Amino acid sequence: MNGAANWIWKGGGIALLAYVILRGFSTPLQPGLVTAKPSALETGKQTVTLKAVGQPFAGSDAALEDFSVVLRSRSQLLKTQIKAVQPHDITVEVDVPNTLPSRALDAYVFTPASGTLFLGNACFVEEAAKGDIPAGFQSERPIEKPPQLGFSFPFQPNIMESIRNLLWHVPMWFAMFFIMGLGFVASLVQLRTGSIDWDFRAEAAVRTGITFGLLGLATGSLWARWTWGAWWVSDPQLNGALITVLLYSGYLILRAAMGEDDRVGRLAAVYNVFAFVMLVILLMVLPRYTESLHPGKDGNPGFNKYDLDNSLRAVFYPAVIGWGALCYWMYTLRLRMNRVAHTLLSR
Amino acid sequence: MAQARHTLSTAWTVARLEWQLEWRQGHQLAAVGLFAIASVYVAFQAADQRTGAAAWTAMLWLVYLFSGFTAIGRLFDRERGDVRRYLQWTTDPLGLILGKLFHSVLTTTALTAVVLGAFVLFLGWPQGMDGPGKPGILVLGAWLGGFSMTTTLVFVSAVASQVRSGSGALGAVLGLPLLLPQLILATRLTRGALMDTPWAMLVEFPLFLAAMSAGTATLACILFPYIWRA
Repeated sequence: MNGAANWIWKGGGIALLAYVILRGFSTPLQPGLVTAKPSALETGKQTVTLKAVGQPFAGSDAALEDFSVVLRSRSQLLKTQIKAVQPHDITVEVDVPNTLPSRALDAYVFTPASGTLFLGNACFVEEAAKGDIPAGFQSERPIEKPPQLGFSFPFQPNIMESIRNLLWHVPMWFAMFFIMGLGFVASLVQLRTGSIDWDFRAEAAVRTGITFGLLGLATGSLWARWTWGAWWVSDPQLNGALITVLLYSGYLILRAAMGEDDRVGRLAAVYNVFAFVMLVILLMVLPRYTESLHPGKDGNPGFNKYDLDNSLRAVFYPAVIGWGALCYWMYTLRLRMNRVAHTLLSR
Repeated sequence: MAQARHTLSTAWTVARLEWQLEWRQGHQLAAVGLFAIASVYVAFQAADQRTGAAAWTAMLWLVYLFSGFTAIGRLFDRERGDVRRYLQWTTDPLGLILGKLFHSVLTTTALTAVVLGAFVLFLGWPQGMDGPGKPGILVLGAWLGGFSMTTTLVFVSAVASQVRSGSGALGAVLGLPLLLPQLILATRLTRGALMDTPWAMLVEFPLFLAAMSAGTATLACILFPYIWRA
């Protein structure tokens, strides 16, 4: 590639990443319910406050009659009386009957402009007997108003604001796969031709890939702490990711142990081919067939629900291209270093 | 066809030669056995006869893993210098690696018997178990795990033998991460067998282990000629 074309993809990649970082952190999160207080209810008149995060679902001048809140027990709806609406919480009074189809109550908040917010198993009524909700306590299904939220990221329970990590963690692993795939091809060519330049390519690819693998592990660990509550858990996908990075570290150790030996290219290529096959097994095959906490598993190659949202997609795809371009740029730099070092040493 | 027969006869010769050398020299196999039994005895002393299934599994696989490294790690030590150059000219590389694989699997089978036998002898069955568990699956899991370990270690020691300095340590360094997935599967299987987990919940582990062993063995056979050709 000539100079101008080079600067177009490099500049384009950096511009995309700048867009991703700005847009990823400035886009608001859609409102979603997180807790109900108190969650343990008794029968009779009770006051419950539902708390939300994300964008405010009501202005400070919100009119109470624009909102409606119902609690659901199985398929029956229990009516409530709204007492107060604040930007991030809504307080209702509910008359809990003696009989309920289920002791667990789901909460629905119907808002004028933010759509319908849902919280599963919001409250429990320990002392309620099994039975239908009496007619006087039942509610009609309120009319749903379409949300007018503008450009915003979807609310996911547990994940919440950390959904922005999707723009870092996932593209970093994609970039790692891409560059390791490149390294695999380079090693195959090296084995066919014995060319030293393809060995330089493989080495540069693996080194860059390890960097992105470490970044992927770090961002993943951060995400696990937030959503699962631990920095690291024993999970097929996580085990596979860690082992893959360890494997490729072995590649660098092997090269270092070989030193100036002129067979280093072939031996490293053999190891790299082996490592890449293991990568495919560890990250793409094994986690598919075993239970995993990690999203995108259970036989589903995509990351299921996240890619359904258009606003997220509008930032995620540029992130994939941007991180990929940065990764490839780092690879070309390392490749140049390898070539220059070789030229200097063989003078 | 003739080529295939030639390869197989080379493999047979290599395996038989390895086996004969083991018996004649004796010290190699004895060293591995000594290492295994001494390690089991250390585990026995540390556990003080009160071991749960998890600790039992952990110690079994640590002993097994390091005995495996001792047994397989030096597989290509004889093929150095002039011997190696001679073999490069005269021997089919595929036959050589197949013979080494075959011999290693035999060694691992013996090792499985020694390690598992010593474990049950010294540590007994893990404490706190309601029933006898599934001894058959325990043996199957240990052997399959060992088989899987062997196919990977043969490849690793072939790579490490090419490095002129300190190949023993390098084999262990390269081998451990490569063995982790198989060890994870094998330890789950062992723990399941000890805790009498229903077979339906365990069946995927031996299948994965067998598939991974077949994969690594095939890959080792494809890649070995590239390592061997100087």
